[in-house]
Amino acid sequence: MSHAMTGKTSAAIGGWVTIGSVVALFASPVVVLAWSLLEPDTDVWAQLWRTRLPGMIVDTTVLLVAVVCGAVVVGTSLAWLVSAYDFAGRSLVGWLLVTPLAIPGYVGGFVWLDTLSNVVGARGVRSMWLCAAVLVVSLYPYVYLFARAAFADQGADTLAAARSLGCRPFEVFWRVAVPAARPAIAAGAALVAMEVLTDIGTVRLFNVSTLADGVMRVWFDSGNRGAATELASALTGAAIVLVAAERLLRRGARRGRRASETPLAPQSLSPARSSLALFGLLIVVAVAVVLPLARLVDWTFEAAGSGQSVTVAGGVGHHAGNTLMLAGIATLVCITVGTVLALVVTRRGRAARVVGRFATVGYAMPGPVVAVGVVVMLAALDRRNWLPDGFFLVGSLVGLVFALVTRFFAVGYQGVEASLDRLAPSTRESARVLGSGSVRTAVAVEVPAARYGLLAATALLCVDMVKELPITLLLRPFGVDTLAVWVWQATSESLWVQAAVPSLLMVVVGMIAVGVLLAALERGGEFAS
Amino acid sequence: MKWSSTLGKRSRLSALGVALAGALVITACGGGSDDSNEESTTNARQVTVYTGRHYGIEPVFEAFTAATGIAVRFTTGSDPELRERLAAEGDNSPADLIMTADAANIELAAAAGLLATVDSDVLRDAIPAELRSADDTWFSLSRRLRVIMSSTQRVTNPPITYEAVGDPQWKGRLCLRPSTHPYTQSLVAALINNRGVDATRVIVDSWVANDPLYINSDTDILKAIANGDCDVALTNSYYLGRLLAEDPAFPVRLTWPDQDGNGAHLNVSAAAVTVAAANRDEAVALLEWLVTDGQQLFSEANHEFPANPNVKPGAIIAGFGTFVADTRSVRELGRLNPVAVELLSAAGYK
Repeated sequence: MSHAMTGKTSAAIGGWVTIGSVVALFASPVVVLAWSLLEPDTDVWAQLWRTRLPGMIVDTTVLLVAVVCGAVVVGTSLAWLVSAYDFAGRSLVGWLLVTPLAIPGYVGGFVWLDTLSNVVGARGVRSMWLCAAVLVVSLYPYVYLFARAAFADQGADTLAAARSLGCRPFEVFWRVAVPAARPAIAAGAALVAMEVLTDIGTVRLFNVSTLADGVMRVWFDSGNRGAATELASALTGAAIVLVAAERLLRRGARRGRRASETPLAPQSLSPARSSLALFGLLIVVAVAVVLPLARLVDWTFEAAGSGQSVTVAGGVGHHAGNTLMLAGIATLVCITVGTVLALVVTRRGRAARVVGRFATVGYAMPGPVVAVGVVVMLAALDRRNWLPDGFFLVGSLVGLVFALVTRFFAVGYQGVEASLDRLAPSTRESARVLGSGSVRTAVAVEVPAARYGLLAATALLCVDMVKELPITLLLRPFGVDTLAVWVWQATSESLWVQAAVPSLLMVVVGMIAVGVLLAALERGGEFAS
Repeated sequence: MKWSSTLGKRSRLSALGVALAGALVITACGGGSDDSNEESTTNARQVTVYTGRHYGIEPVFEAFTAATGIAVRFTTGSDPELRERLAAEGDNSPADLIMTADAANIELAAAAGLLATVDSDVLRDAIPAELRSADDTWFSLSRRLRVIMSSTQRVTNPPITYEAVGDPQWKGRLCLRPSTHPYTQSLVAALINNRGVDATRVIVDSWVANDPLYINSDTDILKAIANGDCDVALTNSYYLGRLLAEDPAFPVRLTWPDQDGNGAHLNVSAAAVTVAAANRDEAVALLEWLVTDGQQLFSEANHEFPANPNVKPGAIIAGFGTFVADTRSVRELGRLNPVAVELLSAAGYK
């Protein structure tokens, strides 16, 4: 018995040490930022408050509300249309509606900026509303994915009952389906909100001055890393409030359909309505994906035809290779550490879960903020000369991967955790009672059972890593340029033609990842079509 | 017995977790080797450059390699990004030479102690004193002037001073570059140097009152004039040179500002050897080559005015005519940059 107690204690210690080290590692850039708040640079704050800060807060708030509302409306209604009704081409369109995920906002942004400036003029095109529209088009798939999973989980009986009680189709949607799917929609909306808060590429194109943009301004325009750090901490605070709000919305989460209830069966539409639905959805796909792609291809051919160079120093292979290498390494580290943490956390109970959350705080921070935190932290370590001569962290591949993983750890960890949660506790217990050890239970039972969740998280991470801009821009080792960096440099000088080739390549990589994501979700039964 | 062994195994998972976390930390600490070793193992002479200039820089470096046998490795970025990067990397920076598109950023890098002094008669002879730092840290490579651009079709009497750009007749007809950009900051810093903070604030206020369209690209600003989106703008001269090279009938004209006063705002692209330079000799060689043998190629690649007065400007920009430039402000742009940034944000300049 004392032997057992020792085992139990050492397991607990080991578990907590694991949780503690992962959290310490990924939360440290935030701690570094918070530290700076202890001695605020009051001059800079006073100046910011007198000048740009109020405008930044207004712009950030308006953009946030507009994009989140837009993405919720678009994503939820598209999901409902595809989940509740049956029409020709439904399955294919259902997939295509996710593909805008593969087109970064800043790519869609410069395509639309150029395309529309011929229509509404250079002045009209640089507006908050167009910026919001571009972001809605590129971000609604997050809401769409979550809402579809939620609608698929709703019982047909409840909806049938609503219909028999005289609810019209819209009322069924609005008064029954949407409230039941609220937690899922909120989760999707939270992702959209995070993306908006952390965007720098798109807002700059449209002259929208958000807080994330402000961090970049203060850091680079004023060369004041301290002030940038403080502004960054404020922004992180705002993001944390948002996360808390999402948790509150989730609190009223209702169970989906009862096990005995039959799943939602889509209603067939008349041929006329069927074609109308298909046509409408194809327009969305055209606006979000086909048009930008066509424009990028057009630019590429235009450049090739006129003999203009469409590549940059190092060439296409160098950039594409670096993008794949970085996204690959960072995704792998994210998923591996995320899986281990999720497995340990599920064994250590509620307190561990709460502590584990702190490792995901990077997701609530804009890329530039993570970059500031990581640079400050790694530079301090470098200065201590703990490493052998010639070894350093700032500007190394390891520093960059660390920052990327810190930023996106949540995507890997929460994806795995959610899959593990869905596993009936009895499965794990049975395995244990049958004498399977902890590691064996994990490897033989839990990980395989969560494989589609893992695959989906991997694909989502890939999409995020390939698009990622500010961290790569600021921390990339010498000579490691990615496709995103190339796009940024070309678009910051309005050289759309030169941005076309790398943009297309990013979209291709993103599309492949989105394909894997969809396959994983479908196999995992979260995305019944 | 069964239980204890189960629990024993459970602790193994935790151990695995600890090991993985530990491995991550250790890997993190062993990093950076791939970059640093590369330099020491290659025997060929090379120089590593951080450059804030993107246009046509590759052929220039190729010509240098052909002439000297020294290979050039370079990475691009905006001036402030590269400066902050250099600051964060400190002694570990791989950069031997930093090249900026603006005088303020290189002066700020010098003030931060990131640049080494270079004692070279070649550099001192080639570059006039007002175009290099007093302490021999940075040296200009080319001259760039921020001038008044206007539509040849809709404007008959373009403004001839920076002040006149704020005239109410240009309300809704003005295009400017956002204050995030060093060119805007340095222009305002030069105005402050010549006229003081208060007078400059009045000018910037009058620009902002004209409800300018902010476009973060000088090329796009000129295209916006051609498309009728605005009539008057401030841009660097060489952007027009580039567009005229493509289309000699491009409907935008250049006006040299403040010719009866302080002269057109002169900014420079500049370069300096870093304190961290591992290849200092090669960096100095590149710097010297750029202001002498490579000067023509360097300045013409981007339709800029040479920094070396013995080198003739290219044909297109020579066609812009002679002008008076504000040479006194160049070395003050870095010092006044924070003042300019504060003034711009206080004035509500986007």
